[in-house]
Amino acid sequence: MFYAQLLVNGLVQGLVIGLAALSITLVFGIARFPNAATGDAMTLGGYSALAAFKATGSMALGGVAAFLATAVVSLLAYLAVFRQLANRSVVSLLVASIGVAFFIRAVLGVTFGHAQQVFMAPLSRPYVLGGVRITPLDLQLAAVAAIALAAVFGLLYFTPIGRQMRAVADNRDLARVSGVRPGRVMVALWLLAGGVAGVGGMMLGVKTIVSPESGWEMLLPAFTAAILGGIGSPGGAVLAGLLLGVAQEASTPFVGFTYKIALAFVIMLAVLLVRPRGLFGRVEGAR
Amino acid sequence: MSAQSVAQPVAADMTERGSMAGAPLLLGVEDVRGGYGEVDILNGVSLFLRKGEIVTVAGTNGAGKSTLAKAVLGLLPRVSGRILFEGADLVGLSTEDRVGRGVGYVPQVANVFAALSVVENLQVVVGVKDQRRRIAELFEAFPLLAERRRARAGSLSGGERQQLAFARALMTSPRLIILDEPTAALSPAKVAEAFELIARLPSLNVSVLVVEQRARQCLAVSQRGYILDGGKVAIEGEAAMLLADERAAELYLGRTEKRHS
Ligand SMILES: Nc1ncnc2c1ncn2[C@@H]1O[C@H](COP(=O)(O)OP(=O)(O)O)[C@@H](O)[C@H]1O
Ligand SMILES: [Mg+2]
Repeated sequence: MFYAQLLVNGLVQGLVIGLAALSITLVFGIARFPNAATGDAMTLGGYSALAAFKATGSMALGGVAAFLATAVVSLLAYLAVFRQLANRSVVSLLVASIGVAFFIRAVLGVTFGHAQQVFMAPLSRPYVLGGVRITPLDLQLAAVAAIALAAVFGLLYFTPIGRQMRAVADNRDLARVSGVRPGRVMVALWLLAGGVAGVGGMMLGVKTIVSPESGWEMLLPAFTAAILGGIGSPGGAVLAGLLLGVAQEASTPFVGFTYKIALAFVIMLAVLLVRPRGLFGRVEGAR
Repeated sequence: MSAQSVAQPVAADMTERGSMAGAPLLLGVEDVRGGYGEVDILNGVSLFLRKGEIVTVAGTNGAGKSTLAKAVLGLLPRVSGRILFEGADLVGLSTEDRVGRGVGYVPQVANVFAALSVVENLQVVVGVKDQRRRIAELFEAFPLLAERRRARAGSLSGGERQQLAFARALMTSPRLIILDEPTAALSPAKVAEAFELIARLPSLNVSVLVVEQRARQCLAVSQRGYILDGGKVAIEGEAAMLLADERAAELYLGRTEKRHS
């Protein structure tokens, strides 16, 4: 029973990691660099959702606000920074993304202050299923995440722009000689990558706290999941995020709450050493 | 390469190597120089192709054949000179715009989207008027691909991949197609089929610039040819003349193959 409870908790945690990892893996697959601003994009999502939630009391509208605000800021970061550096080395882009991360964090700190804020979600009686407690809040969060994921995967696999995104990820030059305009693909990519990070940030804020540093701390587990899932593989990132969330929760009785972040690090090292392609990685995903 | 319906309009009596001397110019490459970094790989290449022609570009490894193809498509970082297509200069246009104007391209390596399905490889092509119909036509021309439409392109055999690469490039109904070593990845049995398909392209209103290692076989279906060396045209002429040329044979076409000509 105890473990079933950890599993449920872990799945919610895993959705947070999975959304962040999805954002990272999309950017890595298509724009080809590890985006260190993903964590702070999540923070922005947390604050945006909080503002919308305070104003309306609706968790769903919080999710919408998180998605939109973060998508727009992510697109602006692309237009102002990453597009300008498009032909530079991966390291330049990584460093630039760290700069973007600090910029977002500073603006959030100045705007909202450094005090921790929380979602004052109304307490409601949890559902009890065979001894496992599931709160309505968790269900709402899971629903918001599921909708965001369905939207992203629907777009990636069933629309022309999604097909073009996957084509650019696969072979950029071949995409161009097929008439695909990389600029459009990049706009779609950054909106999408920002949006999912924002929804992840909202979930993180609801489950823990919202502070200017909260998203940054998710970067390690998110990158771990992106690598574990096979960098560039969207489905892999989400599955690996869920796995990692559950693994972190399941390890708490043994290693204690404070060390569960270290678990992500250990898993990342192990994957890099033993199976750098990740669990679901494809060779062509990381060209 | 079995492509029955691509073959339909072929006139059996079409003189395969007949001269196209009267036909209008389709492509004119004029003194093109350029490369990937500081160093020039192309050192002033000039060549032309008339409407309806098949033209071979041969030369040893590293001569700059693939680089020339990339220059025409706008995939080379640094280019100077003129590249006229149907009278308009392509230099300065984006790759997408060049494709939009009617230039198709099958690269030497990585010529399909391995992670996409066969049908997605065709659907992804932008700027096709009636996409469904065009895909149906190409599936009719390449029945093997139709059978494997849902398969990941990465799982195809060498021959199937090559067909898909051709089909993808033909999606836009280009008036010129540039093929970079189209037979390199094929088993010997498939090579002849590939050349047959190439020979049929002009009857479909597609002129062909083809880079080939198998220069003799390729010249056999071409009207004219160029031999590149060190990023320049070393020898050029009618295909028959090149095949008979002692110096060309000795330096570039391989002597041992001479008996085939
Ligand atoms: N992507 C590249 N970056 C830098 N140099 C390249 C690249 N591709 C080819 N080269 C160089 O350009 C020259 C010509 O190569 P290429 O055009 O591929 O020759 P070919 O197709 O005739 O065998 C070679 O010296 C090769 O090393
Ligand atoms: Mg080559």
